Amino acid sequence: MAVFSKEEWDWEIRSRTSWLGTRAGELWAYRHLLAGMVRRDFLLNYQQTVLGPLWILFQPVMTLITYVFVFGKMIGISTGAIPPVLFYLSGIVLWNFFHDGFMATSTTFRANADIFSKVYFPRLIMPLSQLSTHFIRFLFQLVLLFLVLAYYIVFEQMAVPLTPWLIGVPFLILMTGTIALSLGLLFSVITAKYRDMINLVSMGIRLLMFLTPVLYPIGYVSENIRWVVQLNPLTPIFEAFRFGLLGEGYVTPIQLIYSLIFTLVLFSVSLLMFNKQGDKLIDVV
Amino acid sequence: MADTVIQVENLSKVYRLGTIGTGSLRQDLQRWWTTAFLGKEDPFFKLDSNGEQSIENQKQALWALQNLSFDVKQGEVLGIIGSNGSGKSTLLKIISRIVKPTKGHVRGRGKVSSLLEVGTGFHQELSGRENIYISGYVLGMNKEEIRRKFDAIVAFSGIEKFIDTPVKRYSSGMYVRLAFAVAAHLEPDILIVDEVLAVGDAEFQKKCLGKMQEVSQTEGRTILFVSHSMQAVQSLCNKALWLDKGKMKEIGEVSRVVNKYISGVQKFQLSQEWANPEEAPGNDRIRFKQVELRPVLNNANDPVDIRVPLLVKLALWNMADEVNLSINLVLFSYSGECIFDLPSENIKCSKGLVEGEVTIPGNFLNDGSYYISLYVVKDTSVPLFTFEECLSFDLEDFRGDIQWFGKWWGAVRPKFPFRLEQPDLILQADS
Repeated sequence: MAVFSKEEWDWEIRSRTSWLGTRAGELWAYRHLLAGMVRRDFLLNYQQTVLGPLWILFQPVMTLITYVFVFGKMIGISTGAIPPVLFYLSGIVLWNFFHDGFMATSTTFRANADIFSKVYFPRLIMPLSQLSTHFIRFLFQLVLLFLVLAYYIVFEQMAVPLTPWLIGVPFLILMTGTIALSLGLLFSVITAKYRDMINLVSMGIRLLMFLTPVLYPIGYVSENIRWVVQLNPLTPIFEAFRFGLLGEGYVTPIQLIYSLIFTLVLFSVSLLMFNKQGDKLIDVV
Repeated sequence: MADTVIQVENLSKVYRLGTIGTGSLRQDLQRWWTTAFLGKEDPFFKLDSNGEQSIENQKQALWALQNLSFDVKQGEVLGIIGSNGSGKSTLLKIISRIVKPTKGHVRGRGKVSSLLEVGTGFHQELSGRENIYISGYVLGMNKEEIRRKFDAIVAFSGIEKFIDTPVKRYSSGMYVRLAFAVAAHLEPDILIVDEVLAVGDAEFQKKCLGKMQEVSQTEGRTILFVSHSMQAVQSLCNKALWLDKGKMKEIGEVSRVVNKYISGVQKFQLSQEWANPEEAPGNDRIRFKQVELRPVLNNANDPVDIRVPLLVKLALWNMADEVNLSINLVLFSYSGECIFDLPSENIKCSKGLVEGEVTIPGNFLNDGSYYISLYVVKDTSVPLFTFEECLSFDLEDFRGDIQWFGKWWGAVRPKFPFRLEQPDLILQADS
């Protein structure tokens, strides 16, 4: 008869959850589930539709037309040296990624209560798959942005200075995704506990857009209230994104470092919160 | 001696009743402060020194499991039985890592897969093929594994033709078959199954049980199995755990535990007796003295199942002289359907005690809950008194060799001889 000591058990279930929750190895073991969920989302969204995946481009194009008409022509916000179409499209594409990524992950517990209460897998898989879905959609929209940019360079003789900032663009996208995921994780816990918070979330994100230079360049804001917009950690990311791609944007390294620190802190806090609360929430939702 | 693969120690789970959380953000913050930062016990949820809950908290708390400890060895098929709300599902959920215990721990060895529902991860809009993959991933398989078993899964489900049709167009039977087929091809070291056999047709149930039997016997897998069907538990499991209100009542060899469970939970209004006519049910013509139902058992500890004859005895005081009395015994199923109405002989009675007795034969009623009402009738036509629901009893199922575990149809379940034979003429297959 073998006598086993504590160390020889493969797994242990206790009442306390560690703050770190899932081990990285376990997440990796469930990578197929993540891919499967992304695939499922695309199949569900685009099978039995006429335009299929073209819908991914339809929404930003319609938004673009509206913005160019309302803010460019009617209100007349100056977009500097960047043509309005490129200016708004770059803002819309990045904002959509943030907005969709956040909204989709912020309902993780509510939307998956059923499956979470029937089977175990690392809970983080669900928000990660949602974010991945929206990242792929973002890539399609980014291609659209590049095509429009190419059109302006070739046919309109627009001069886009190639700066080292272009290399930074993927990092800016990563930061945007991380902020979206972090806020999503945080609010997924909050909306599961206090259901009415979901109303606050959708209202809050709409208001947040006005504090982010999506519709206007930061230079358009008068000096004395510019700090309000600059307090938003998304602001330097958006400005740097435009600067890297289109050659015009107003951002300092200090502001970017501020965004980076904010992102890292928010990510750690929300990840810990999500893991710690995740197991308890199953009793509640 | 086989290795222990699951060790459960002092496992307890408390559910708070009523409000979600403590009810307010302020209380939540206060709780969070004391538990997370000061490292103290939850102020809204204290345990006293004995580990019992203080009185004022008991009202809002439900102990789904209380200090449960047991081991499961490799290759064991453990049936978990108990009435509704006894904590069976909570136990499975904790071992499946879906919910956290309040106290205690579970340790284990090997990969665990749980099947608490048929069709976890299925999506109505997706085709059968897509659903096999998604459901497989959710249950913990990887892509390579599913690819390898894909054909076997489809064959097991028997829906080859519809594999690329969205499952929303499946019949419910097809849906269940496909879902179970995925689950049946899991290869965990420990499989946790919760009452999934309640769905599906007879043939499919048989297939599922067969598959589970095969998995446990030939591959040495450990299975935890929750079921309300004692027949299924007895034929599949070699050990049983009886939970009662979150506590372990009994664990051990399956037939011993199951028999104890059945005789323990059967509820009987078996006998009623009145010493004097004034308090007895009845009216100025008739008073009941005694009603009694006695199962005719060979062994006093045997469960009362459908094979057991039931003896009904009654006694009543007749208050009037020279009446023709008869009594109708009417048996109702628990849902109120009348199963039969059995009249007694009609005899001329004078003032005094009247006694009667009748036996409901074994192998006649179906399993289920029943109650009996007695109608006292004068001159075979004038009702004198009705004694409603004076006796009630449960009959347990018994299947013997029959390898099918669905609910047996019918109000009654008689056992007439039913012969089958083959005449001498044997058809030769065309060669």
